Amino acid sequence: MKKLSLVLFILSLGLDVNGQIAPVKRDTTRRLGEVKVDATVKRKIENDMKMAVSVDEFLASSDNISFIKRGAYAWEPLLNNMSTERSTITIDGMHIFGACTDKMDPITSYVETNNLSSIDIKSGQEGNMHGATVAGSIDLKRRSTPFGLQQKVGGAYQTGFEFNNKQAFNLGNLFYSTDNFVADGSIAFRKAGNYYDGNNKEVLHSQYNKLNASLGLAYKTSPLSAIRVDAIFDRAKDVGFPALPMDLWLSRAIITSASYKQLFEEGLVKVWDTKVYFNAVEHYMDDTTRPENLVHMDMPGWSTTYGLVSKINLKKDRYSSEVQFNAYDNLSIAEMRMYPQDRSKQTMFAYSWPWVTTRFASIAMNNSWEISERSKVNLGGSLGWNYNYSKYVEFNWIFHPGASQKKNRWLPGLHASYELSLNQFDISLGTGFGHRAPSVSEAYGYYIYNSFDRYDYIGNPDLKNEISYEGNASVGFKTEKLSIAAKVNYFYINNYIIGRILSLGSPMNYQSVGVKGYTSLKYATLFNTAINVDYKILDNLHWKGVLTYARGKDDEGGNLPFIRPLSYQTSLHYGYKRLGLRTSLNGDFAQTNYSPAYGEDQTASYKIWNLSADYSFSLGKFKSVFQVGAENLLNEYYSTYADWGNIPRMGRNIFTSLKVNF
Amino acid sequence: MKVSILIKTIGFYAALACVFLGSCTKGKTNYEAERGEVIEENNEFKEVSNVVTSAYTVSIEALNGVLYRGYNDIRVRIKNTQTNTPVEVSGLTFLPIKTTVMGEKSSCPNQYHFGYKSADKYFSGYTVFTSESGTEGSWALYINFTVGNQTFSLIKEVAVRQQTNKNLNMTVFRGKDDEQYVIALIAPRKPNVAENKLVAGIYKLNRMLDSAAKGPADQLQFSYSQVERYTLKLDPRMPEPSMGNHSSPNNRDLIQDKDGLYHGVVNYTMTGNWTLNFILLNPEGKVIRGTEVPKDFTPGVEGRKSELHLDILF
Repeated sequence: MKKLSLVLFILSLGLDVNGQIAPVKRDTTRRLGEVKVDATVKRKIENDMKMAVSVDEFLASSDNISFIKRGAYAWEPLLNNMSTERSTITIDGMHIFGACTDKMDPITSYVETNNLSSIDIKSGQEGNMHGATVAGSIDLKRRSTPFGLQQKVGGAYQTGFEFNNKQAFNLGNLFYSTDNFVADGSIAFRKAGNYYDGNNKEVLHSQYNKLNASLGLAYKTSPLSAIRVDAIFDRAKDVGFPALPMDLWLSRAIITSASYKQLFEEGLVKVWDTKVYFNAVEHYMDDTTRPENLVHMDMPGWSTTYGLVSKINLKKDRYSSEVQFNAYDNLSIAEMRMYPQDRSKQTMFAYSWPWVTTRFASIAMNNSWEISERSKVNLGGSLGWNYNYSKYVEFNWIFHPGASQKKNRWLPGLHASYELSLNQFDISLGTGFGHRAPSVSEAYGYYIYNSFDRYDYIGNPDLKNEISYEGNASVGFKTEKLSIAAKVNYFYINNYIIGRILSLGSPMNYQSVGVKGYTSLKYATLFNTAINVDYKILDNLHWKGVLTYARGKDDEGGNLPFIRPLSYQTSLHYGYKRLGLRTSLNGDFAQTNYSPAYGEDQTASYKIWNLSADYSFSLGKFKSVFQVGAENLLNEYYSTYADWGNIPRMGRNIFTSLKVNF
Repeated sequence: MKVSILIKTIGFYAALACVFLGSCTKGKTNYEAERGEVIEENNEFKEVSNVVTSAYTVSIEALNGVLYRGYNDIRVRIKNTQTNTPVEVSGLTFLPIKTTVMGEKSSCPNQYHFGYKSADKYFSGYTVFTSESGTEGSWALYINFTVGNQTFSLIKEVAVRQQTNKNLNMTVFRGKDDEQYVIALIAPRKPNVAENKLVAGIYKLNRMLDSAAKGPADQLQFSYSQVERYTLKLDPRMPEPSMGNHSSPNNRDLIQDKDGLYHGVVNYTMTGNWTLNFILLNPEGKVIRGTEVPKDFTPGVEGRKSELHLDILF
């Protein structure tokens, strides 16, 4: 599949930011551009409606990303209709693992739009540069200001208010750039109350409160080398999860890295880029705001990761290559303590992640040859080693007596593709093969309550590797006014890991109805397809449409859960002088292929109509944009196929925002 | 100048990382210590009491130096009082006798003939005290031992205390066969959230023999015997209402092993209060005592217990 580089629209306004990991000298920027291996098509996808989007809203505009939503905050991104265990999600190549067993803190919740420059999504095995994967990779690229900008000091400030959930946000970023020193900083506050659904009913426990700050400092050590240190601090407080029986009291993440980048003017090696990193996440749930709960519980979680990523880019004539080494060590701990009604009595304690260590190392390579002006071959592979250790393995032995405390796995991956451009047509064909290791929850999880199907989940340390075989193809057609692209992919996945009802044991969480164990299906298949159409009706009137469809089946022909039904997004943009008008319609058709066995019920179709207008003007000498608009203008009451517990989505939301660049 | 900025920066980040590393908002549970809080370690044999005669010193030892209601491993060492060296003893019998205020005498499940551990030079056996010392009565140990051809006897009053470790709980009951039984837990002393080997002793009160026998010891030493080839069916559950009758998988009923004790497996899925629900079956498979408990998950309702059960806590 094509690599999609999603460039943040809001960030591209007024600022020439490049998305490379370490900034380079002005005169070497061009050289680096030549070296860059991604000869694949870069396409700019903007969120059509809003200029002040959240990371989640922004990701949602990609046609191979869908979301599981547990509330208004921290949506879990599904890539190719596969959950986060099957994709690698990284920040500038750094691995980070959420500290919540209920996946209330996907990695995307620890960044903000104003410290990102772009999001790199790779589908399937093409995404194995950062580590073993099945679905692909999502790499969130930090923003970094280049050295020696003409404007030494600059930045942007953005503020806004959304009326439905009384969300107020303030985002600011600042840079300082000289010939050999650069500093980047950003800070963001968001605070939202409960939102109201399409029936104007308040959805309780849907508030959130987020603070995100980042700082990056780079120093040029020589004309061709630079070092950079980066840190992101994120804190979310009092975040409601209406679909869960508890909320988030506090989560904090610190994400740090130090990197060294060296460019080479001559020879095969063009760039060598190495980074060491450390990140720590803590996540504490809170159920004291839910008096209806029978039992008071504490569920703290911690995740700490150290890692190294080192990458070289090679290029000679028509051959270019990228080699990447990854290594990390992660410790995931999650506890569960229940308090009896009589608080003086002994509490009940267990680990839901019994101090699980994961060590991973991989070497990955991606090569491409331009066979001719028109065609190109890509060939890549990776070999990973995955090691797990469960400190309190006796927890795992309760369901799997004698399961191994230590486990080594080898994870190979291969992919190949052929790209051809013929006049107005672009054609690509690709195939891939890859293994992935079970996640910490899938292997070592212990009574992890899933409020979607209301089962407690138990991991199995001896699950087999999931093995994926994939094929993909795309066809594009382009004229001056029209562009059409169609893509399909198909995954055949051996040992597909999924929860199955266990006849053993009984639930621990009082809301649950039974116990499920992670088991391997013999196989499962997944098919994804998307059609994108872009049409320039007039110079200042654009139309865009996306249609996606997916189908997932298990080894008995039953439906897999969380597969998006036929869905569409269509939008119209009209620009007149300083005024921009946008309108869009998006929705899903009725979900007919739902999976009752995995806790799904049928979800009806819905359609959402949005409208916005923006106006650019000068505020003194500052370029500014003001936007006002409405989402779900018709105040439709709906929930999507992936809404946890069928919680209704937000009703009509009027939003305003102002952005000032300086 | 630029380099100094750099050094400061690195220093700043290092400090930041250190602060964060050492300061999670909430502390992690110290799991090992957590279990230790409830169950004090008492796996060391200490002297409970001793009897000093002119010739021999008899020392009675138990775990932690205390005799508890329930199952006790007991060691007896006999030394020469003058030389303080172990004495060659050819046999030792041990019998606890309870005397109520009314003067009635009774005994308890007990190993009458203690075995000799020649390597460590002590006698070892067990006793299951069925009550604590107090208003119900007082306990005395009747010990006979033989040195050469000479038999020595002594009686020593001892205190039997309440067992605070509920994992070593016991129960006395009358079965459907109108016999009196005792079930005493022996292991695990310190369970884990894990698969635990569960060991229990099951004893039956023998009907009194001819009351015209010579001494109390002769009669009472036969008062209980270990039951043979019974089965103790096990269903562990958490009784707490919020736990909704929670149970665990992969448990195994207790059956008799070569050591005469009953061995099975209990899985505890988390710490806290648990109830071991039992059904005692005789060798013919007839229920002696115990009832099936509901297996459904019933949040908010306190778990129903078998009429034969032991409550434990860890």
